[in-house]
Amino acid sequence: MNDLSFRRGDAAVIALILAAAISVAAAFALAAVSHGGGAVAEVRRDGELIATLPLSEDARLVVEGGYTNVVVVASGAVCIESSDCPGGDCVRSGRISRPGRALVCLPNRVEVRVVSETAAPYVDAVAS
Amino acid sequence: MNRTRAVTLCAMLTALALALSFAERLIPLEAVVPLPGVKLGLANIVTMFALYQLGARYALAVLVCRCALSSLLWGGPTALWFSLAGGLLALGAMALAKRAKFLSVYGVSLCGAACHNLGQILAAMAVLRSVSVASYLPFLLVVSVFTGLLTGAAASSVFRALSHVPRAEGGEK
Repeated sequence: MNDLSFRRGDAAVIALILAAAISVAAAFALAAVSHGGGAVAEVRRDGELIATLPLSEDARLVVEGGYTNVVVVASGAVCIESSDCPGGDCVRSGRISRPGRALVCLPNRVEVRVVSETAAPYVDAVAS
Repeated sequence: MNRTRAVTLCAMLTALALALSFAERLIPLEAVVPLPGVKLGLANIVTMFALYQLGARYALAVLVCRCALSSLLWGGPTALWFSLAGGLLALGAMALAKRAKFLSVYGVSLCGAACHNLGQILAAMAVLRSVSVASYLPFLLVVSVFTGLLTGAAASSVFRALSHVPRAEGGEK
């Protein structure tokens, strides 16, 4: 039976979780910094690229799937303005503009990912 | 504890876990932490109880039943895979962490909370076939420290209160 009171080992677990959080965040920040260039929003459904929207131009895209997401690019940032999916987490995720960030609508299996225009495939950037 | 009692206890625990999943939907956690998808993970207290009281196999049964029923009630098929991915990874991590002598129930709960988020992100990466979903993981991990401590405290007081109850066959002696 494990102890019922907080122990030093538990603090080590907290440190480990925070270290993991920081290193994942750092990996994504590094990948974003090493790119530079104008940012574009890639809209994917089921992993398939359906649109590429430069963040420099205002745009509006309706993504139909099992549900309907309205993706809006305005003043250099992209957001999912409205959605009829259950939960609406994608809408509440707000506006993003930094490369490496993503908006996700899981019920509709849609992902809006900000990448830099000149970027090599993002997967490689993270792995390297 | 004979088999019938164990199965009955599992059924009650499943019902309790479902009730807790429902109750935590009523807590507007997103008003405090503005991250979508953040949950307290109260049902994890039940998983921990089953793990300690009945052993990993019964805890697994309770977990799978809870995920299946909650996806029927609220989520749908996609939600089932997500809660299973998170739940199974969390249970596996907790079963391992429970063996570590230098961890208390807090440490076990923290491992469960962190791995639950990790499992959900891995599921999201698989569904979306994308790596960048993982950029969300650091936020979830930081939150999981707080939710893990909270459910750890809850589990700790439950175990304290029930310390006079004899332990089941297959559970921790």
